[in-house]
Amino acid sequence: MTDELRSEFHQQLDEIQRGIASMSAGVTELVPRATDILLEMDLEGAEYVILGDDEYDGRAIELEELCFKVIALQQPVASDLRAVMSAVKIIADVERSADLCVNICKAARRIYSHELDAHLRGIIHKCGKQAALLFKEATEAYLASDGLRAAALHDMDAYLDDLHRQFIQVIFESHAAGNIDLQVAVQLAVVARFYERIGDHAVNMGDRTRYIVDGWIPEQPYPESDNDLTNTSSSTTT
Amino acid sequence: MEPTTEQTEHAVFAEAHDPEEPKEQVFVTDDLHVYYGDFLAVRKVDLEIAKNEITAFIGPSGCGKSTVLRCFNRMNDLIESARVRGRVDYHGIDLYGSGIDAVEVRRRIGMVFQKPNPFPKSVYDNLAFGPRISGVKKKSELDDIVESSLRRAALWDEVKDRLKSSAMGMSGGQQQRLCIARAIAVEPDVILMDEPCSALDPIATGKIEELMEEIKTEYTIIIVTHNMQQAARVSDRTAFYSVEVNETSDTRTGILVEYEETDKLFTNPNDERTERYVTGRFG
Repeated sequence: MTDELRSEFHQQLDEIQRGIASMSAGVTELVPRATDILLEMDLEGAEYVILGDDEYDGRAIELEELCFKVIALQQPVASDLRAVMSAVKIIADVERSADLCVNICKAARRIYSHELDAHLRGIIHKCGKQAALLFKEATEAYLASDGLRAAALHDMDAYLDDLHRQFIQVIFESHAAGNIDLQVAVQLAVVARFYERIGDHAVNMGDRTRYIVDGWIPEQPYPESDNDLTNTSSSTTT
Repeated sequence: MEPTTEQTEHAVFAEAHDPEEPKEQVFVTDDLHVYYGDFLAVRKVDLEIAKNEITAFIGPSGCGKSTVLRCFNRMNDLIESARVRGRVDYHGIDLYGSGIDAVEVRRRIGMVFQKPNPFPKSVYDNLAFGPRISGVKKKSELDDIVESSLRRAALWDEVKDRLKSSAMGMSGGQQQRLCIARAIAVEPDVILMDEPCSALDPIATGKIEELMEEIKTEYTIIIVTHNMQQAARVSDRTAFYSVEVNETSDTRTGILVEYEETDKLFTNPNDERTERYVTGRFG
């Protein structure tokens, strides 16, 4: 009895998964880098990240094409189908997250030479750290096909959402105290949003990973659970 | 990955929320076993075949899918050593009960085989054969049956001008549709198809599949196919059979592994063995 009838096809699936994980790992490093660039007003670094985005776009297209090729030529079904369809979506999440890092760098250029007070720097640092952590977890859960780690992302994201709210509050306070002008305040509010979005993309990746693992679809409660357990917006579960 | 109880319950949950009324069952098998002599060919099959649905049987060679199919119109009777244990109910009647006329069973439950097998007669006579045996004598009545059967099999326009020429001169795909038309001509309730497209090219296959979709409003169809894509394309529900090897006697017995709505079976099967078979991770 042979174990594997379609080894070439399954190698292609592995190739897609590794390609996405590698791209996603790149974004995981990009997030703290963008944060540093923002905090250090590093114009050279910003330029580097902005130009480097083409690389991500190119890899996203390559991986997408590989997915289409596999669908057209191999007609995947069951877990293979879930893996390919999810891959197409995850590629978009990763590519978009790279764009958001670029946006943070562009915001850094716009507010160049404006001093940020300690409160602002502190909250930017926290947001960047949490967004990077989410992305790292999403990437590793995807690569390991680990549904449990993927499921934890919703709650991790709830913390990032809290930080996002705090960030907005700190922006108001700094502006009210006259530490930053309105232009800078608006740019920072947008940056806060970028971090929050990166977290959402990581959560999407996690949901897709769970779909690959056992066919779980978001907004579809588990039959045996009470609703509180799957109500991700309440974020109070342990 | 091992199938978890969570997954199984998940499937049950999805079904429980199905807004549709329960379908009328044409066949219900209960603890069906088929033996060839002492050899157990298929073990413990419990199936419910719903009316006006297309049910596909898939599985590797020797898994017993054709054997089970042949139980539904008692074709196994024609194999001397074949013996059936358990029940096959057809609209609530035990098909293997006493007093059941196997010929009448086969009239109601028609069959289309792997290789097109038209009679070496004219197109017309192929279609009129069954109705004549059932006692239809009037020419006008036979003409009507021939035309309506050919129309329902989407073959009328192709053959209406050569009804008197031999069916053996038709293409393979046409011959197979003629066989379907011939099955339809005796107004059956169910049509069993045993790999009806395996000898046909993709265009002829496409026509048969389209035809199946059209006639399922009037008939219940069960199809055995080696082509998983075909099962995925045409069927409403799919039964996956596999082979169990008995190490001590070195015999192979067919088992029903999973019976599920087709879209579920091909996107997220409940059983790990189904998963491995449909994804080609199992030989």
